[in-house]
Amino acid sequence: MKPTIIIGAGHAGLTLAREIRALDKAMPITIVNQDPIQAYYKPNLSKALSMNKSAEQLIMKQIEALKRDLGAELLEYTSVLKISSEKKCIVCHAKGPDNKAQETFELPYENLILATGASPIELPINGASGNVVSVNTLQDYIQFREMIKDKKQILIIGAGFVGCEFASDLSSNGYQVDVIDRENWPLEKVIPERLGAEIKHAISKNGVNWHFQSTIDEIVKEKRGTLKAYLSNGSTIQSDVIISAIGLSPNIQLAKDSGLVTSRGIVVDEYSRTSCCTIYALGDCVEYDGQPLPFIAPATLAAKALANTLTGNKIKRILPPQPVAIKIANCPIVLCPPKTKEGSWQVSGDGQDLEVAFFNNKQELCGFALSGQKISLKGEYLSRYSKPKINGSVLPHASGIN
Amino acid sequence: MSNSKIWQCLTCEFVYSEATGLPEEGIPPGTAWEDIPEDWLCPDCAMGKDDFVMQEIQNASQSF
Repeated sequence: MKPTIIIGAGHAGLTLAREIRALDKAMPITIVNQDPIQAYYKPNLSKALSMNKSAEQLIMKQIEALKRDLGAELLEYTSVLKISSEKKCIVCHAKGPDNKAQETFELPYENLILATGASPIELPINGASGNVVSVNTLQDYIQFREMIKDKKQILIIGAGFVGCEFASDLSSNGYQVDVIDRENWPLEKVIPERLGAEIKHAISKNGVNWHFQSTIDEIVKEKRGTLKAYLSNGSTIQSDVIISAIGLSPNIQLAKDSGLVTSRGIVVDEYSRTSCCTIYALGDCVEYDGQPLPFIAPATLAAKALANTLTGNKIKRILPPQPVAIKIANCPIVLCPPKTKEGSWQVSGDGQDLEVAFFNNKQELCGFALSGQKISLKGEYLSRYSKPKINGSVLPHASGIN
Repeated sequence: MSNSKIWQCLTCEFVYSEATGLPEEGIPPGTAWEDIPEDWLCPDCAMGKDDFVMQEIQNASQSF
């Protein structure tokens, strides 16, 4: 029997393998990954200092444990050059950890799953290349921790989820942090100004300098090795390390080259199937209803549904509203980003303890965010969603937890 | 304390201790796992309770 092949050993790929194995002890599974295969929880990369963990301590399972638990063949340091959907095989190139074991080979598959993830969007700034790092994988993070040893000043580009968490983690662990963003307040796309101001205030307690409504024209490496960012407003920011946290772009090249339909991400139906009936895709490389959703929960839920489908129990992917936790020192936040832009925010609460809710033009709850002590209202908010029909099913949240 | 259990999320390794509960989420200390509502979601990764991901570790307060 030919194996089910999963390309990518990130959260989506490994979760799918785990879920298939829970349902079917016999199905052969092969996972191909261009980097080392290790299980880790990616959201921890932007909070590891506060967790008192080294980069290596974030590893939940090494490859040997994964092989044993998943009963799968795991091919690391192996990239996929080509998919031949007519022959139902992939062409792989293994390079080994030191680029020494070069080998190209074909692998036939029964079903193929693309879990190729997403990559940091490149900054279109002079001098960014080579001087700006992105932290999107454990390997990136291992290098980043080396890089910031004995360093002091860090500039973060982007005040979104990852930028804010890094700002909090680094500033509360002794680093001097600057954050620059072209918008007006942190997480502007998903929260109103009032909550943005509280987040800014909470993170600022450790001495973060914010530069909103600002962009960088050029980055120059100085003789002493420090980096100087020239802003379009004429000012400059000096730093030892610059992190870019401006967002991710789905890795669709392999799918595109193979003739699969892609847009911003790989296009899939509600069974996670691509335009080819034996090829599926899930996680950060796909778009769900036209939108990439680079979060843990949608990938997990899609993996669970797909594992059922692949083992003979065809079920649709259902993505109910998923609260996302943002870890900021002294001000915990839970947020369920609005799915529409049409509507308005309602804000209540005092100081850090805020509840903000987004209502569409029909006055239906479409998103919310809670901070400080108000996060205890999370269950209640989830139950207040007016049970919209998603893929024909009613949301599972029936009651709150109060 | 010997009957107080610890449960861990498979996806993110979030730990729920029955002894400490989750007061910030409105779950008082001493709340048994089975008394947590079925629609409760992991505070870190938003996976469900009965949905599979929480795992009993041991009858001790120690985690890793």
